Amino acid sequence: MGRYARLESALELSRLMERHYAEALDRRHPRPVAWVNAGAPVELLRAADILPVYPENYAAMCGVRGGVWLCEAAERAGYSRDLCSYARISLGACLERTAAPYEGLGRPDLLVCCNNSCGTIVKWFEALARFFGAALFVIDTPYMHDGLPGHAVAYVAAQLEDLIRWLEQRTGHGITASVLDEALRLSREVTLLWREIRNLCRVRPSPLNAPDLFTHMAPIVVLRGAPEAVAYYRRLRDEVRQRVQHGIGAIPNEQYRLLWDNIAIWSHLSRFYYLFAARGACFVVDTYTGAWDAVPEEGDPIESLARVYTGVYLNRSVGFRLEHMQQLMQDYACDGFVMHNNRSCKAFSLGQPAARRLLTEATGAPGLLLEADMCDTRAYAEQQVRMRVEAFLETLAGRAG
Amino acid sequence: MSAYLGIDIGSRVVKVVLVNGNDTVLAAALASAGTDGPAVAAGLIPRVCSEAGIGPGEIGYTVVTGYGRVRFGDADAEVSEITCHARGARHLVPGARTVIDIGGQDSKVIALDGQGRVADFCMNDRCAAGTGRFLEVTAEALGLRVEELAAEHTRACRPVTISSTCTVFAESEVISHLARGTPRPEIVAGLHQAIASRLVGLAARVGLTPVVVCTGGVALNAGVVAALEAVGKVAIVVPPHAQMAGALGAALIAAARAAERR
Repeated sequence: MGRYARLESALELSRLMERHYAEALDRRHPRPVAWVNAGAPVELLRAADILPVYPENYAAMCGVRGGVWLCEAAERAGYSRDLCSYARISLGACLERTAAPYEGLGRPDLLVCCNNSCGTIVKWFEALARFFGAALFVIDTPYMHDGLPGHAVAYVAAQLEDLIRWLEQRTGHGITASVLDEALRLSREVTLLWREIRNLCRVRPSPLNAPDLFTHMAPIVVLRGAPEAVAYYRRLRDEVRQRVQHGIGAIPNEQYRLLWDNIAIWSHLSRFYYLFAARGACFVVDTYTGAWDAVPEEGDPIESLARVYTGVYLNRSVGFRLEHMQQLMQDYACDGFVMHNNRSCKAFSLGQPAARRLLTEATGAPGLLLEADMCDTRAYAEQQVRMRVEAFLETLAGRAG
Repeated sequence: MSAYLGIDIGSRVVKVVLVNGNDTVLAAALASAGTDGPAVAAGLIPRVCSEAGIGPGEIGYTVVTGYGRVRFGDADAEVSEITCHARGARHLVPGARTVIDIGGQDSKVIALDGQGRVADFCMNDRCAAGTGRFLEVTAEALGLRVEELAAEHTRACRPVTISSTCTVFAESEVISHLARGTPRPEIVAGLHQAIASRLVGLAARVGLTPVVVCTGGVALNAGVVAALEAVGKVAIVVPPHAQMAGALGAALIAAARAAERR
């Protein structure tokens, strides 16, 4: 588009994702295909030599290309328009397999989902399991109000042990300790690389803008624990480092540094974020891509995975999230913040109006709460969004001047 | 003499204000936006110029704001309604800390800091509830003109409760009240209360710090203002020419930008 400085790694990213989706559809390979959600303990599936495929990532990709027609397909089948647009796109793509991108993602041999992100995911995966007549394993993670008590870790760990046995029954072979250790090692390595890349945005000007992170987060989601993800993020890290060394910013004239809260507006990834970039505002940090920042500890792999997947951002209290955002605003020297009140994601949008007020009180920085949706453009009003963004940036400029 | 032009192309009404370098209003005009607000705006410019006794060439700077600003090509700058309304209200009522602007299709609450700069704002989202359009639709159901609502409100003794702030549902509620024989003033006062509740709910997000100023076309309806004062438990100032605040703010910003340019 010529609006942002394009990363050279983008080409490699396209190839990587293209290969991933082709593999999901290729039924000649011997590995069973599991449809999983972003919060599922994928390391166990990798150790079991199962290919994990992500309907959420698929839905986001459809959202970038225009996903409303798939939402409508699900709505015609009786799914409510108030349901998450990832779920509607995914279900719609199953119903419209011949016309949907990548044949609607093919079909799963089994499904694994964890309710650490929301309750919707469970019902969505149940619907998918029914649709394909495939077996589903659900992991229940207790909500973290404050801290993670030992009994909660034990409760989740026991379910992960069950999952291992369940997977072993389905593949007919056992999961060895060394294979699981290797999957965790790769997961740890890729998560540390992702953290390093995000941390590089603390400098001024920031080498990346949120749309860059949104685009380049795909491998940390779908290839976590796979060697090709590590190779990819090493390359990306080196490129971002180069930018930092040469003082190259993601946007031409960084004047305001902002924090983004909630899932990306995939349907307007270029146009929406350009409203900010054109006026010198760069999103240097966000709460969404930071949700893949948890590094599995060394030690007992099952307990370590139980901790990582129970402690994900969306499974934490509003108070925790508020403190986290406050810390990020400080670490990344943010002048303001934008909260996407995402009609689809109730779990992410919970408490935002109060959080907006409290975060401004704590940091002194203004915040904008915008109503929109991650994929459903019917919930995105172009003129209203534009007007609010401009008023917000004028407010920031007024404070600076 | 140099003059500075502010244009506010709203969803229902277009407003135009011309000021001089001393922030004094030289001329002002407004007209229904119809289906082509930018064209209506262009038509109003010669009118204010001749009223002020200047030629169009003497306009030193033009700022356009409002819903239709994106389509109006002939301005030096576009500024959002929030900034313009804040600037206009602050000029009309020095010391203002909160601006409630109720326009045709949206309503906004703006918090100003001690220096009169925008500190925070919030708006209704994708819904005509609590706006001028809401009053137009429901007034029509009552067989009244919008201008008659305030007088009707004063005759109310026991306002009914309009439970829905959705414009479409409220209209059917009004119709069923009429069918039940509820006197019109009670329904009108109920409608004003419904708008006020919604706006005060919106205002709670940014606070209702006095001095509170009400602007926009609906500010001319004393019934709505009285209901806002009752629900919000706060005194509200309605400046003269409240409907022109956005255009005035745009004109004042135009004058300031022209001064910066020199």
